[in-house]
Amino acid sequence: MNEQGNTPFKFFSLGGSNEVGRSCHILQYKGKTIMLDAGVHPAYQGMASLPFYDEFDLSTIDVLLISHFHLDHAASLPYVMQKTNFKGRVFMTHPTKAIYRWLLRDFVRVTSIGVNSTIGNDDNIYTDEDLAESFDKIETVDYHSTVDVDGIKFTAFHAGHVLGAAMFQIEIAGLRVLFTGDYSREMDRHLNSAEVPSLPSDVLIVESTFGTATHEPRLNREKNLTQLIHSTVSRGGRVLLPVFALGRAQEIMLILDEYWSQHAEELGSGQVPIYYASNLAKKCMSVFQTYVNMMNDDIRRKFRDSQTNPFIFKNISYLRNLEEFQDFGPSVMLASPGMLQSGLSRDVLEKWCPDEKNLVLITGYSIEGTMAKFIMLEPDTIPSINNPEVTVPRRCNVEEISFAAHVDFQENLEFIEKISANNIILVHGESNPMGRLKSAILSNFTALKGTENEVHIFNPRNCVEVELEFKGIKVAKAIGN
Amino acid sequence: MSSTIFYRFKSQRETSRILFDGTGLTVFDLKREIIQESRLGDGSDFQLRLYNPDTGEEYEDDQEVIARSTSVIARRSPALKNSSIHARNKGTGANLNQLATVGNAMRYVTGKPRVFQNRR
Ligand SMILES: [Zn+2]
Ligand SMILES: [Zn+2]
Repeated sequence: MNEQGNTPFKFFSLGGSNEVGRSCHILQYKGKTIMLDAGVHPAYQGMASLPFYDEFDLSTIDVLLISHFHLDHAASLPYVMQKTNFKGRVFMTHPTKAIYRWLLRDFVRVTSIGVNSTIGNDDNIYTDEDLAESFDKIETVDYHSTVDVDGIKFTAFHAGHVLGAAMFQIEIAGLRVLFTGDYSREMDRHLNSAEVPSLPSDVLIVESTFGTATHEPRLNREKNLTQLIHSTVSRGGRVLLPVFALGRAQEIMLILDEYWSQHAEELGSGQVPIYYASNLAKKCMSVFQTYVNMMNDDIRRKFRDSQTNPFIFKNISYLRNLEEFQDFGPSVMLASPGMLQSGLSRDVLEKWCPDEKNLVLITGYSIEGTMAKFIMLEPDTIPSINNPEVTVPRRCNVEEISFAAHVDFQENLEFIEKISANNIILVHGESNPMGRLKSAILSNFTALKGTENEVHIFNPRNCVEVELEFKGIKVAKAIGN
Repeated sequence: MSSTIFYRFKSQRETSRILFDGTGLTVFDLKREIIQESRLGDGSDFQLRLYNPDTGEEYEDDQEVIARSTSVIARRSPALKNSSIHARNKGTGANLNQLATVGNAMRYVTGKPRVFQNRR
């Protein structure tokens, strides 16, 4: 079928295409098969949250690469390793593996508790034992060192999204594919921005979370964040920041801790307490301390010069649960989960949202179908998680200032130009922003139309294959959809 | 007296079971039971198809009765958008029986079987 025995490159998503959540993509070329990510969809529970694993023979996968520890990229890995006929090797970076362990243990626990209280059916897609058994089989990779698994070569690069997040450049028989995972091109308080690999890529698989949107500069966002919080607590209000326990939460804490120190006479010394409610707090501190060498120069300098861990905060105290929380006056609470689905942040939301003085401040990306997305519509009432018959009035303010560490349009386009791949596959975005991004990139490259460097852009749905033909290493043409 | 039908998701190693009273279940009821038992959700974003593990043939007719003690293979896949159903219908002249198997799995959850006039 293919002239001179050229085998096509195939791309196939089991999840995370035309949606944000359950990231899972398959690459096939010259008889090699690679899976990228094994996430869950945070808006669903149990089996419903899984990628469409029935649509691919998982026993044929040689290598599975996990880009970072977020649940939408990693949380169905124990399921793949323990419950399916997957036999391949699994790789992630050292910090990803260290944090993944605590996060997923928490994920199993939270999921089962949430279910027992409401439905009484087991919603876990794997057990603690599955997690422990599969954990030892996960192999780790260093940034910038190339691993070769029977002709599949891959290299991890910094993605600038969360601690340990990687972009993978994969090479099979001379064809190079770059998968960005979630990535940021903006240096923040603790991470470097995403790197551009020195070798070119033929295919770029790139996130499109923010589509054609533009971010405000980081310093403006920091200022808006601290002012909004400061004015709320000055009026006697309480501020809830729903956060994912690890990753971006640490960035927010770096900002708040510094601001509290600078405004100690009004806010410090426990006058307006900041709480970080997570049972992972203690563990994560040691992980962040261990991997300071993988963060940016600024935070490394602070670590070296002050001889203290910059992630030990002077103005933030840890809460393991709400029983030990005394809710007497204005305070700031960072609580997980980040999308208010259930658990600590949801309990605090229901407690605080009836009071108009209070503020819910969303700093992460909110996935379609979650409470975080719903509350931004400023509904009059929200359903109570423990009693679906009951609704809770919503009078509090709701604001969004993003510290999600995904590229905006300009950053994405500049990166895409630097990679200069002729074939671009968009993933990790809702259909509408992704469609707008596709048009915007296409119009940016109209000058190349009809030339041998024409840029082809694909935004396939889940389980719709993209097939590309390559002659030798040079791009020939795109066939299929 | 309790009867059993065994099902295994295509990608899974382990087999699960549906317990019921009687000599068999219609494909419609079996799908509904599997969706409930495996907690697949409200049916809006996926379709569920069942296959005979020996022949690989799909059980396409919702009214077909599957005898107790049978094993089936279950396959969860993305729902098709309405537009693609229409496109498919126009382009290929697919009959309504085929149409009953595309789209999504919501009807199994809401419990309203589709009735087609021109069923063979
Ligand atoms: Zn992420
Ligand atoms: Zn993500």
